[in-house]
Amino acid sequence: MTDLHFLTIAEASRLIAARKLSPVELTDAYLSRIAALDDQLCSFVTLTAERARSEARAAEAEIITKGPRSRMHGIPYCLKDIYETAGIRTTAQSKLLANNIPARDSACQQRLAAAGGVLLGKNATWEFAHGGPSWDVLFPPARNPWNTEHTPAGSSSGSAAAIAAGLAPATLGSDTGGSIRGPAAACGIAGLKPTYGLVSRRCVIPNCFSHDHAGPLAWTTEDVGILMQTVAGHDPEDPGSLDVPVPDYIGAATGDVKGLAIGVPWQWLEEEIPLSPATRASFDAALEVFRDLGATVRPVSLPPLLQFDDVKRTIAVVELFTLHGNDMRTRPELFGASLRYRIIAGALVRAEEYLQALRHRTVLARAMQAVMATVDVMMLPTAEPAGRLEPLPPESLFTRPSFTTPFNVGGNPALSVCSGFADNGLPFSLQIAGRVLDDATVLRAGNTYEKATTWRNRRPSLVAERYPQQQTG
Amino acid sequence: MADVSPTPEEVALLARHAGLELPAEHFQQLVSAYGHVRRMIDRLPLERARDDEPAHTFDPRAFMP
Repeated sequence: MTDLHFLTIAEASRLIAARKLSPVELTDAYLSRIAALDDQLCSFVTLTAERARSEARAAEAEIITKGPRSRMHGIPYCLKDIYETAGIRTTAQSKLLANNIPARDSACQQRLAAAGGVLLGKNATWEFAHGGPSWDVLFPPARNPWNTEHTPAGSSSGSAAAIAAGLAPATLGSDTGGSIRGPAAACGIAGLKPTYGLVSRRCVIPNCFSHDHAGPLAWTTEDVGILMQTVAGHDPEDPGSLDVPVPDYIGAATGDVKGLAIGVPWQWLEEEIPLSPATRASFDAALEVFRDLGATVRPVSLPPLLQFDDVKRTIAVVELFTLHGNDMRTRPELFGASLRYRIIAGALVRAEEYLQALRHRTVLARAMQAVMATVDVMMLPTAEPAGRLEPLPPESLFTRPSFTTPFNVGGNPALSVCSGFADNGLPFSLQIAGRVLDDATVLRAGNTYEKATTWRNRRPSLVAERYPQQQTG
Repeated sequence: MADVSPTPEEVALLARHAGLELPAEHFQQLVSAYGHVRRMIDRLPLERARDDEPAHTFDPRAFMP
């Protein structure tokens, strides 16, 4: 059998439902692995080990007598440290929130707990899910399990590193310009930015209200679907929440993409930000997999990538300063230098300029939806393979274009999956974006691709200097 | 479009109006960061119909009890 810590959610939940795996045994396996390996990765900032064991025991007792409540019953998970957790420190990696103990749970934590999940702890992020990687904030930055000298990207860095390393099977991150998909790509896992408004952001510490999305990361797209089934749904306490029915995301894993129409924005990939030859080869190979499965591929044309970035970043710098202006005026030294640089100019942007950016967002969103109406999904790489973990020039946020931001501007669902490995062992990534509220098709395409390729068979080879005895229950 | 970075004096004036009194080190960051933000804003297309409302207009249903 697969090592317990490398079981997917789908596999573990089947074993738990069949009484062949104890949630206590599974939880102990993860806690042992975290203890053995996370000093290399820094993917957790807070562990809730005793609480996890207690929740696992309760889950086990209930499952024995009544059966599982959901696919997540008895499954360990972790949360990016911007999801508020009642009684558990929630810091956003910032000295400003070093002693912040929320009084109530985020909506997502409430849903995961109600489903019977087992909270292992909180994951490292970039400061306030925006500035990083940083060495002058509350905790050190997380590292990439495929090569700990490399970055796991950001801002859901610890979440993605923990999943790839087998320290947890499930986590939630957040994505304002690519912060779920970038780390998922860097760490070779699956991560979904859902349609805007599908997953509640209540009591998730905001980055930028108008572009923030909460969403899941896991080893496989099938597991991402299980997490979406658990956390998606209307929340009247989130003003951006959509009051729409929750479709069957788990059932989306049909393994069939015959007839799927795939659009590729070649002008972004060939003219605006030309891909490296290796990434281009990986992307071409991924498209060939879909062609072989019966999909069709055609070019699509969208406004320049730079316009999406300019609009999002202009809006974001103002919304960020609005959130942090009081602290920036009274105690700016408590911000990490990276975040401070990325926020501070928001004070000087005129209201007219902010609103013009919001108006142009409408234009870009319409253009995106018009193109999406002509295809079922759009595909492009999420990012180039991860570089070394080192301080980024602070201005890079304003100057470095991204393949992920257009789908935050449009509010479209977008998934990153692993599409192979570079010569240095770092993962390649494939981004699959879909029509608004058609997250299920995006998941179906990602799941089918994973089943048609062998990339899910490879795991990082982290070696513990000392490996605690695993409890087998 | 001419790429003219704001001068420290111009940024200092804007910062005063925004209520920002920063130590020298942070002020230099502001000057640098605002130059990048200014260039982004200057690239935004401005010509659109008068009735072209921004994204995220008010939806009263979101605030019903």
